[in-house]
Amino acid sequence: MERNQMHRQVSVMRQSLFDQGYLDEQFIQLEELQDDANPNFVEEVVTLYYRDSSRLILSIDQALERNPLDFNKLDTYMHQFKGSSTSIGAKKVKAECTQFREYCKAGNGEGCMRTFQQVKKEYTILKRKLEAYFQQARQVGPSETACRPRN
Amino acid sequence: MTPAIEGMAPAVESSEGSNKMSKGYQYPSLKKKLRGLVVDNAELCRIVEKGIMGLCGVETQAVETGEAAVELIASGATFDLIVIDRFLPSMTGPQTARKMREMGVESKIIGLFASYFEGDEEEFVAAGVDDFKEKPLSPNWLVPILRELDN
Repeated sequence: MERNQMHRQVSVMRQSLFDQGYLDEQFIQLEELQDDANPNFVEEVVTLYYRDSSRLILSIDQALERNPLDFNKLDTYMHQFKGSSTSIGAKKVKAECTQFREYCKAGNGEGCMRTFQQVKKEYTILKRKLEAYFQQARQVGPSETACRPRN
Repeated sequence: MTPAIEGMAPAVESSEGSNKMSKGYQYPSLKKKLRGLVVDNAELCRIVEKGIMGLCGVETQAVETGEAAVELIASGATFDLIVIDRFLPSMTGPQTARKMREMGVESKIIGLFASYFEGDEEEFVAAGVDDFKEKPLSPNWLVPILRELDN
């Protein structure tokens, strides 16, 4: 009984991440890649994302402190960051990244700085939500979040 | 069959053998054994892109630089589909595509952007790619390409 309740809780958490626009269908792609051979694939990929992105964020923060700003460098960093964010389905983060790139292209330093605060904010919110989700999902069992049928 | 997870369409195993359908993605049943190459500097992107290509029936290798891709081809490896990220550490995506064409590679080459603005594709197109796409690498656009290659 209790297990069913926990299972339902995980599903509700998961669904709300999509409904509230934090994740897009790319996250479902990750779930498609999770199976018995890779039972923790999604969490591993997301962990990798947060590990690698933290370095990029630091680089962008440092680059934003320069005077004058090197928009090409900023753009390159952000391109990488957006690529990773897109790959895990981080919808809101991705949207802020696009905005950042628009300011870069326009040479708008203030716009870049403001938007990057938003990027970091969304990034952190998503991190907390995903951590909570994975924690719950782990209690239910990793195979519950795989969506491909087992052969 | 996997029990339906609330909020998600149940994964359905089609009666057509290796066709798998889940959440609207129809993974193709390919006649040929297609080989793919992903060139992306980000580990996360390599993992996810390689995985998705695999789900779509493409035996895929992933390398992190243009140089590594060129070396692989120089050693005799052949691919049906090559996907190259725009930003690579030293040899850029377009430079890599150009080099491949110079080496006589006739495979389908797709230039991939983490973030695309109109006009970004010029370098890639000039280098001889067949098409360019914005990430994520999605079955939505990948599968039609694979079906074409399969014929």
